[in-house]
Amino acid sequence: MRVLIVEDEPDLLGSLLQAVREDGYAADGAADGEEGLYKAESCDYDAILLDVMLPGVDGWEVLRRLRKTKKTPVLMLTARDAVRDRVKGLDTGADDYVVKPFDVDELLARLRALIRRSASEAQPRLEIGEVLIDMAARTVTLRGELVTLTAREYALLEFLALHRGKLVTRTMLYEHLFDENDNTLSNLLDVHVSNLRKKLGHEFITTRRGHGYSIDSAL
Amino acid sequence: MIFNSIRWRLQAWHSLILIVVLTGFGVTAYRVARGNQLRRIDQELQQRLMIAFRPGPPAGPHLPKGPPPEGQPPPDRPLQDRRPNDFGHEHDPSAWRQHMQEVIAHAGALEGGQTNAFYYLVWQRDGTLQASSSGAPKNVPMPAETGPAEREFGDRPGAITRTRGAFREFCICLPFGDRALVGRSMASDLAAMHRLALWLFAAGSAVLAFGTAGGWWVATRAIRPIEDISATAVKIAGGDLSQRINASDTESELGRLAGVLNSTFARLDAAFANQVRFTADASHELRTPVSVILSQAQTALSRERGPAEYRETLEACQRAAQRMRKLIESLLELARLDAGQERMKQESFDLSRVARDCVELVRPLAADRGVEIRCDLPAVECMGDSERIGQVVTNLLSNAIHFNHEKGEVRVFARSDNDTASLSVADTGVGIPPEELPHIFERFYRVDKSRSRIQGKTGLGLAICKAIVEAHSGAISVTSQTGVGTTFEVRLPAGSRLA
Repeated sequence: MRVLIVEDEPDLLGSLLQAVREDGYAADGAADGEEGLYKAESCDYDAILLDVMLPGVDGWEVLRRLRKTKKTPVLMLTARDAVRDRVKGLDTGADDYVVKPFDVDELLARLRALIRRSASEAQPRLEIGEVLIDMAARTVTLRGELVTLTAREYALLEFLALHRGKLVTRTMLYEHLFDENDNTLSNLLDVHVSNLRKKLGHEFITTRRGHGYSIDSAL
Repeated sequence: MIFNSIRWRLQAWHSLILIVVLTGFGVTAYRVARGNQLRRIDQELQQRLMIAFRPGPPAGPHLPKGPPPEGQPPPDRPLQDRRPNDFGHEHDPSAWRQHMQEVIAHAGALEGGQTNAFYYLVWQRDGTLQASSSGAPKNVPMPAETGPAEREFGDRPGAITRTRGAFREFCICLPFGDRALVGRSMASDLAAMHRLALWLFAAGSAVLAFGTAGGWWVATRAIRPIEDISATAVKIAGGDLSQRINASDTESELGRLAGVLNSTFARLDAAFANQVRFTADASHELRTPVSVILSQAQTALSRERGPAEYRETLEACQRAAQRMRKLIESLLELARLDAGQERMKQESFDLSRVARDCVELVRPLAADRGVEIRCDLPAVECMGDSERIGQVVTNLLSNAIHFNHEKGEVRVFARSDNDTASLSVADTGVGIPPEELPHIFERFYRVDKSRSRIQGKTGLGLAICKAIVEAHSGAISVTSQTGVGTTFEVRLPAGSRLA
């Protein structure tokens, strides 16, 4: 999962990027509205954290322009908790909002819920064959046994699971699992896939040679 | 209570005054008409008596026979003063009385058959009725010489006018102590007076009704603007500050009042909107550093970190806390200035010396950005608090350096007029767009948001400058040309060298 954070306060942007990355997401940052809009339009993010008070193009305007082309879930960060502002945000097409100052844990929980909802998964638990993925606790069990995964492995599994039954191309995986700071070495993805197969069974992830990977929805 | 309303009170007073005026008019008109009528009757009565008892030699068929007094024309005396001799009966009461009877009979005969017929009566001194004309009523009491009778013709002693029931009577003394009376019925006159009274009452009532209705209409029209004002004021009191009174007639007193109220409401509205915006801005400005501290700390604490990461987090927290401190100090200072609690010293000082000190203070900052500061500072005395003015100048200088181009220039120059001292700070920066100029002294107003925040500006600096200068009864103004530069000018009351 890849998240864009648009926030003009550098110290806040830094800590948000760190927190989101440590939660297992790929995360990009933008320091103003123009940059945020450019990035949001040029890449398929799974969610956007958007500050309202931005220099230049403000958050409302970014959201309004983005909604013309993309349905990316947007979580607004606002310093004003007036009802009018919330209504305006939700009316403009925001999916959720958090009022500053916020708890990082709450923000991350809302972010997870937002991504889950956008993948039409209301439930935080996904059961595929003998594998159970708890997206709230970010844990995976195989036949009742807890499986230890790295953050990247978990992100890969979650992405494939949310798109189960569909072909997930390598490009999609690179776009959603790695951010602009990562080295996108092509074999790195294969390493993560092979590690997952070792832990969850070789048949769990199917390789479509030359195209990508998928998890069979019939499992 | 509806009867306490202005309209009701206006109406009540109007009607009351109308009633008093109409009643006064009616009563006066009635009395004058009645008085005139009585006077006319009285004159008629007198005339009749004069004719009947005409003095002089007997002439005409109704006069008694007898020898006219020879050689001496009858003196033209008032009737009651005449002596029997005037009538030719100087010493003979019985002949005189005989003569009287004839006169009365004759006069009565002349009146016969007429409406409002006059009647005549004569009494002897002892009260016996000596003669009465044919139409005279019975049992008419002999008038006493004095008594309760009206003495309207008081210029004649012994003459009495009286109203007896529906009769009006006039009485005089005759020779030998006799009394003569002429009277007539006033029944038709009284009926006419009664009709007049009724007519006056009816007309008065009609005028009162029309007047009251007109008054109600006028009061309603006069009150309507007040009701409009009141209704609008109620809405405004209810919280809708955008309401305005519909003041179409701006010339009338109420129109002017509405105009004054409208402009007051507009100022109130603007002040309130300003206050709301200020509170929202202040809350936003305070929330941002809190968000930084909270998210930095929570992220750092979420797992074990190395010393370098902790250090980074603490530094970020420190920056945020410092920004909050600066913001809170600025807000408090503004609040104190707003409340007029900041006491400004009133001393005479050299504005240029203060400016030079400030320039020295910001020189390192200017050097950092490669900005050159040029001064033209002749001695200029002004009145005020040198420390606070120094704060203003430092702020303007720091802005001029911050918003300047690299290798730009800042000019500081002082001037003095008759009663004002002025100091200008001009930069060669990007300038401020004309549409932004009116707002730059507003709190938290930022021309370029992205730059201000990075440079740690609170957005309150110019607002504080303005408040300080205005607390000195001075003025601060700005002129700017986009791409050329901006000039701030502070004008202060000039100080005297003697002070």
